[in-house]
Amino acid sequence: MVRLSRRRFLIGAGLGSLALVSSPLLAGKVAAPGDAPQARPIPSTGEHLPAIGMGTWITFNVGSDQRLVDQRTRVLETFLERGGSVIDCSPMYGSSADVVGAALETLDARDRIFAASKIWTGDGSETREQAASSARRWGIPRFDLLQVHNLLSWQEHLATLKDMKARGDVRYLGITTSHGRRHDELARVIETEDLDFVQLTYNVLDREAEKRLLPLAHERGVAVIVNRPFQGGSLFRRFQSEPLPNWAGEAGIETWAAFFLKFIISHPAVTCAIPATTRIDHMRENMAAMYGTLPDAGQRRMMAEYVRQL
Amino acid sequence: MSGASWLSYSLQDFVMFGPEVLLRLFIRINEAVWPWQSLWLVAGLLLPWLARQSAEWPRRMAMALAGLAWIGCGYLFMVRYYGPVNTPATWFGWAFVFQGLLLLMLRGRALPVPLGLSLAVAGWLVILVLPWLAVLQSGDVRALALFGMAPGVTVAATVLLFARQPLLLRWFLLLVPLAWSLFSALTYWSLGTYWLLGFPVAALVILVVALRVSPSPVQSRDLRSARPDPERRLP
Ligand SMILES: NC(=O)c1ccc[n+]([C@@H]2O[C@H](COP(=O)([O-])OP(=O)(O)OC[C@H]3O[C@@H](n4cnc5c(N)ncnc54)[C@H](OP(=O)(O)O)[C@@H]3O)[C@@H](O)[C@H]2O)c1
Repeated sequence: MVRLSRRRFLIGAGLGSLALVSSPLLAGKVAAPGDAPQARPIPSTGEHLPAIGMGTWITFNVGSDQRLVDQRTRVLETFLERGGSVIDCSPMYGSSADVVGAALETLDARDRIFAASKIWTGDGSETREQAASSARRWGIPRFDLLQVHNLLSWQEHLATLKDMKARGDVRYLGITTSHGRRHDELARVIETEDLDFVQLTYNVLDREAEKRLLPLAHERGVAVIVNRPFQGGSLFRRFQSEPLPNWAGEAGIETWAAFFLKFIISHPAVTCAIPATTRIDHMRENMAAMYGTLPDAGQRRMMAEYVRQL
Repeated sequence: MSGASWLSYSLQDFVMFGPEVLLRLFIRINEAVWPWQSLWLVAGLLLPWLARQSAEWPRRMAMALAGLAWIGCGYLFMVRYYGPVNTPATWFGWAFVFQGLLLLMLRGRALPVPLGLSLAVAGWLVILVLPWLAVLQSGDVRALALFGMAPGVTVAATVLLFARQPLLLRWFLLLVPLAWSLFSALTYWSLGTYWLLGFPVAALVILVVALRVSPSPVQSRDLRSARPDPERRLP
């Protein structure tokens, strides 16, 4: 991160709202003046992160199609305008890293983001090279967070990442899984290693993580990034034609996007959710979930029960 | 990875781009080569006619045209445009280029048995009708998937020639088209671009029909068999 202090200022829990209310795009329903975005501390440092970030799997893999690169740049612009900062990517996501890099350059936004990427190679000796190559593609000097993707060769990569962190080549380290895979192994890693972050799948239908991983991460002081918050979009396909429950308003929910996202970020162990989208209107809807009230524990139970019944 | 872990994957998990990106490939390639694609259209229409002739040189020309079409669409569409969003497309792209070079090299040695009228008509239909599938899918006429540029039409139009080769060579030449047809069908299926499934389906149907009327293995032993095509005896 080039200008750390400025970014921290912008994305810090209370002060972030100052930047947000100054944006005309946030006037009205999306974020009323004085609304602060939901932000969560990273347990290992206390640094705050906005509770909604952005994923880039599929959505930012548009190759050299300049028209689509420009359109995704507008999606990223909307994300930043609405108080977002965490961007998640991986060398596995095709051209996504290049497209993120191009968009950041156009928006001159490299110092306004929390840059998270992954190490995705079976060769345990390639950690540094892959991190450097990804950083070049993003156009940044270093990442805020590097995560071992899907536990691939995690012992070797984690050892190198620890060394990189000690030298200041990366600020945080973590490990990811998804689709509920390899939870037992991930639990052992959380128990035995010093992690800053863990990334896993959790949403109103896929709640396996509630049993063990989320409480364990909470107890061990590990920040949790939630991937596939919409189950890759299938939650919309299943439920969007259904009405929201009549008590949704009391839980601060006006859309299905808010329903799904607020369910996730209201879990006490969750640091942020990273939905992905190709559309500006969807980005607005998703970022709106970062504002207003969150469901309490009782309402969360009702939410899970409601979708189960549909 | 354990067996149970593999079961948690679906076809969709392996497709790393969206339908919009795929359909834009057809538009972008047309914009990039405009107006030269009209030459490919003419070449495509010539192909079945050349392959119908009993003289050797037109059939050599047909093989050469097919080779150039494979190289063109392999490098431009697959390696340059498709590869950056889908890594296996790069591998297929180079396989297409290799296949194209092979066709150019084989030009004089392995001549397809002349096409009968029905197969030639099938070839013309492929060249003229199949490109519209991409238009139907995208709703944009600029997405026309033309012979020599888009892989689906190129494969469907040229399997006709491969099916008319001697047995061993025939199956060697059909390896890449068959692998591509399977790969692209799975991709189109998981992206929900169902109209595009017409490309691999057409290639397979044409292949089966062409094989049914292809020369027998006895004839195929001789690369330059002078015996007449059984289909030609049909009324
Ligand atoms: N192992 C790992 O490390 C791992 C695995 C999976 C995912 N991830 C990360 O997590 C991120 C999120 O997961 P994901 O991308 O798989 O799935 P997701 O965020 O659950 O769903 C994305 C889908 O939801 C749709 N969508 C988004 N907002 C919407 C809205 N407001 N209304 C209707 N539809 C909406 C998008 O379509 P539109 O484009 O039409 O909006 C897209 O198809 C990934 O991008 C990636 O960064 C990491």
